[in-house]
Amino acid sequence: MAEIENRKSRRKRDKAPTLKEHAGTVIIPQISPEMLEQARRAAAAGKMPEQIEQEAMEAVRREEEAKEAAQARQAAQAESGVRAAAQRRPRTGKKGMTRAEAQAELVQSVHDDHLWLNNPVMVRGLGLAPAVVAATSGQTALMLCAAAILLLTATRVLAVSVCHRTQNRFRGVIYAYSAAILYIPVYLILYRLFGADLSLLGIYLPLLVVEPAIIKRMEADELETVGEAFRRGINNTVGLCVSLMLVGVLRELLAQGTVFGNKVLSVAPLPLASQPAAGFLLVGLIAAVWTAIGNAYVHYKMEEVRHLYDEPKH
Amino acid sequence: MMNPNTERSVLQAVAQFFLYAVVAVFAENAVLLRALGVSRLIKLVNDPEVRTWQYCIPIIWVQTLSAPLGWAAQNLLFPALVRVLPVWFPPAALRPIIFVTCSLLAMGVVWLVLGASRNRAAYRDQLPAATFNCCVLGTLLIAANQNYSLLQSIAFGLGSGIGYLVAVLVVDEGRRRLRSKEIPAIFRGLPSSLIYIGILSLAIYGLVGTGNTL
Repeated sequence: MAEIENRKSRRKRDKAPTLKEHAGTVIIPQISPEMLEQARRAAAAGKMPEQIEQEAMEAVRREEEAKEAAQARQAAQAESGVRAAAQRRPRTGKKGMTRAEAQAELVQSVHDDHLWLNNPVMVRGLGLAPAVVAATSGQTALMLCAAAILLLTATRVLAVSVCHRTQNRFRGVIYAYSAAILYIPVYLILYRLFGADLSLLGIYLPLLVVEPAIIKRMEADELETVGEAFRRGINNTVGLCVSLMLVGVLRELLAQGTVFGNKVLSVAPLPLASQPAAGFLLVGLIAAVWTAIGNAYVHYKMEEVRHLYDEPKH
Repeated sequence: MMNPNTERSVLQAVAQFFLYAVVAVFAENAVLLRALGVSRLIKLVNDPEVRTWQYCIPIIWVQTLSAPLGWAAQNLLFPALVRVLPVWFPPAALRPIIFVTCSLLAMGVVWLVLGASRNRAAYRDQLPAATFNCCVLGTLLIAANQNYSLLQSIAFGLGSGIGYLVAVLVVDEGRRRLRSKEIPAIFRGLPSSLIYIGILSLAIYGLVGTGNTL
C-alpha cells in the first residue's frame, strides 16, 4: 500500500525517472561506490526501494552540485587570479622584473645613452680640447665631426681587435697607434673634402689621435668585444658630433652673429665667444643645462620605476 | 776660461731657456690657454686613487724628453720625407704617428728613469696615460709649428709639463672649494670646473691678450 502511494506521489512529482530508468541513461556510469554503499545501508535499514532510489538520486544530485560548485569556485579563483595578475603586471614589469632589476636596467640604459644622458663631452668631459678651442664656428665643428666620424669607431674597433691578440696588454700603445695609423687615410679624405680649410683646425685635428673621447677606452681593464666596440664607437661618435655642432654653431652665433657664414644677427652679441676662455665658460654653461635636464629625466624615470615596482602595503 | 762672447751666448741661452719655460708655465699654459689635456685633468682631480704627483711627474719627464725628439723629427725627418713622398701625399698626415713615436721613445726612457724612484709602481701605472696625452702631443705640435730651436723646444716642453702640474694644483684647490653647498646643484661637478677654468683662462687672456691658440 505504502509502495503504491509512494509511486503515486512520485508520479505527481514531475514523474522524475526511477533509478532503473536513470541508469539506462546517465546515472549508472556516474554512481560511485560511496553511493552504492549508501543505498546498501538504506536497504539494510529497511527503507523502501523508492526511498532508496530517492536517496540515491539525491546523493547523485548533491555530488553533481558539489562538483559544479567546486568547478565554479576554481573558475572564479582562476579568473580572480588572472585579474590580480593583470593588476599586478605594472608592478612587476612586462618582463616580470623586480624593482632592483628595473633600476639596474634603467641605470644601464642611462649609461649606454651616449647621445644625451651620458654624452661624452657634456656629461663625461671627454673631447673638451676640440670643443673648447677649435669648435669656434659651424664650419670648424663640421670638420671636427667628419674627422670624429671617420676616426673614432674605426680606431676603437681596430684597437680592440689587436688587444684581443695581445691578451689586452700594451693597451695605451695599441690605442694611440691605431688612431695614428688610421689618421693617415682619414687626413687624406678630409683633405679631399675640405682642402686648405683643414688648417683652421690647427693642432686640434692631429690631436684627435690622443683625444680621450677616442682612446679613453685604453684605461679600462676589461676588454670589450669587437661588436661592442663598434656599437659604443657609433654611440660616442653621435654624442661627440652633437656636442661639437652645438658648441660650434652657438659660438659662431655669439661671436659673429652668423650661422655657417649666413648672417642671422645684425650685431655680434659676444665677440669673446671665439676665445678659449669663453669656450670654457660656454661649454660649462651648456653642460650645466644639459646635465640638469638629463638629471631631471633620470629622476623622473627613477620615480616611475619606484612607483611601478613598489610593493603593495598590507 | 770662456771668452766673453761665449759667456754671453751661454747666458743668453740660459735666459732664453728660462724665459720659454716660464712663458710655457704661465702665459702659454697648455691647459688654461689651449685646453690641452683638460679632459684628463678633470678626471684626475676627481679621482681619489691617483695622486697628482703620480700623473704629473711622468708627464713632465715625457714632455721634456720627447721635445728634442720632436725637434729632430720636425727638422730632420720631415724634410727628408717631403723629398720622398709623392706630391699627392701631404706630410701632415704623418705628423701624429711620428710625434706619437717620439712620445713612445721618451716613455721608454722615463720608464727606466722612474725605476730608480721609490714609488716606481705608482708612477709606471700612470705612464701610458701620461704619455698618450693631448698635452704631450700638443706641445710637440706647437713647438714644430712655431719652428722652435732645440733649446726652445726643450724649455717649452719642460715649461708645459710644469704648467700642467700648476693647472692641476690650481684646479684641484678650486674644486675643493667648489664643493660648497652654496653652489647650485646643476653646476656641481663638470660645469663648475669648466667655468672655474674658464675664469682662470680669462685672467690669462686679460694678461697676454689675443693670441693664436691653434
